[in-house]
Amino acid sequence: MQTSADKRNPSSTGVDRRRFVSTLLSVGGLAITGRALEWQPDFGWADKAAPDAAAPTLVRYPQKTELILLTDRPPQLETPSRYFLSDLTPNDAFFVRWHLSGIPTSVDPNSFRLEVSGKVSKPLSLSLNDLRSKFEPVSLVAFAQCAGNFRSWFEPRVPGGQWGSGAMGNARWKGARLKDVLDAAGVQAGAVQVGLRGLDVPPSDKTPVYQKSLPIDRARDGEVMIAYEMNEAPLPMLNGYPIRLIVPGWYATYWVKALSSISVLDQPLKTFWMDKAYRIPDNAEANEEPQHLAPATVPITEMVVHSIFVNPKPGEQLRVGQHYELAGVANDGGSGIRQVEVSTDGGQTWNDAKLGTDLGKYSWRTWRSQWAPSAKGTYKLMVRATSNGGQKQATAQWNRSGYQRGVVEQQNVVVA
Amino acid sequence: MSRQICSWMLLAVVTAVAFAQQSGPRSSSAPKQTAGDAQVQQITLPKYPGEVPPGPNVDVYKKDCLTCHSSRYVAMQPRFPKAVWQSEVKKMVDAYGAPIPEADQAPIVEYLVAVKGVEAPPATSPPAK
Repeated sequence: MQTSADKRNPSSTGVDRRRFVSTLLSVGGLAITGRALEWQPDFGWADKAAPDAAAPTLVRYPQKTELILLTDRPPQLETPSRYFLSDLTPNDAFFVRWHLSGIPTSVDPNSFRLEVSGKVSKPLSLSLNDLRSKFEPVSLVAFAQCAGNFRSWFEPRVPGGQWGSGAMGNARWKGARLKDVLDAAGVQAGAVQVGLRGLDVPPSDKTPVYQKSLPIDRARDGEVMIAYEMNEAPLPMLNGYPIRLIVPGWYATYWVKALSSISVLDQPLKTFWMDKAYRIPDNAEANEEPQHLAPATVPITEMVVHSIFVNPKPGEQLRVGQHYELAGVANDGGSGIRQVEVSTDGGQTWNDAKLGTDLGKYSWRTWRSQWAPSAKGTYKLMVRATSNGGQKQATAQWNRSGYQRGVVEQQNVVVA
Repeated sequence: MSRQICSWMLLAVVTAVAFAQQSGPRSSSAPKQTAGDAQVQQITLPKYPGEVPPGPNVDVYKKDCLTCHSSRYVAMQPRFPKAVWQSEVKKMVDAYGAPIPEADQAPIVEYLVAVKGVEAPPATSPPAK
């Protein structure tokens, strides 16, 4: 297992190069004088030394704090990992991902309308006040994650948005049930899907409009929500103001931002965004080999169980004999996290981590584990989670688009 | 297409001041909103286009690619073999409707290989999204 995890893990690629550099530096420092014990490795420098691993560029967008810039047009911004030590991700630190450069930059909440049309007996045009006053408000903590989160951790590398760990966040959402809105419109017999789109527009009339669809049963399960609040505040514009769809347990590609149109369909929606993009190999672990691509692909839907280290950070150096709190988060696709286990010896032995607050089955779960390394050296840390549904993490995984990462993660750490 | 982009930019200019006071730290989420006193929400997108590295046919790349997205889409990628870049350009044209004349496609691939190519391809297949 270890061997295959090694192959698929970031620590076998650029991250390891950086750690290798830092190890050399620290060894050199210790050889000179005891004062070097106070020296902290400059990993920004080490990052720059590694190809394709430039130090992250931090930027500030409207209503957002400093986030890691992937792209500016359209904006794709990562949340720095330190925010993942908290149960809820602040709105201003929540990741941003738009597909098309024509993103909404001005919304009048008085004139905004959500149109509900298609195979319904009574098409609706709902104002924000309608959504707030005519439907029972519901509240739910749900974990959001881009389908391509961790794409840059796959090896061999694949093209696409080169996300690290920061295309995810956990928030309390409040809104109206999609089911209640559909019931008010009266779904007609023969409906199979709902089509969803938002206010964003393509830069060219030949570019496909960003549209997604949900199976009608998922749309009417009573849990999918049209959210008008995020952590008890309006949504930031870049996270979908004034309303966004919340599809708990499913990847955020379905969580359509600035949701403006719901269309009940009696035929599956034909769109690039369902038929060509956001597809994974048709097997449980979304796994395939570069030389043997899976013959069939399906749309990505439910999130898989996964866990990561937040502390230590890549390249962080620990002191021998000192107590250290390993920490991170784990998530799954809607049953909740039953167990997180940590190994400090490359997977030979595992210890249960202490789980953080349980905020509901669609929330992520923080975890912590105390460790006091008794000898100097390089340690291979690993973390794995098990869901309440019994789902365990894959031990090897790769796919051509870098989606649905669920492999057991490994992190090397130097103890000096 | 450029007309749509221009209108977005114009909107951005018009609303330029709106978020100057709201871009401070943590407390800067949208103004408190209650039913009845809702005000227009506007933001101005900052520009962080990054540098466009020089290379063969860089002007073709700028003209055809950077109308729809910034150069950071390329800058964030690791190095890939030529086959991957050919596939990416084809995807932009066929799937995303990028208005790239056929005669420009090979020169763009040449540019991408010059700035983000590898000579010895790793064991990867062209993406088939």
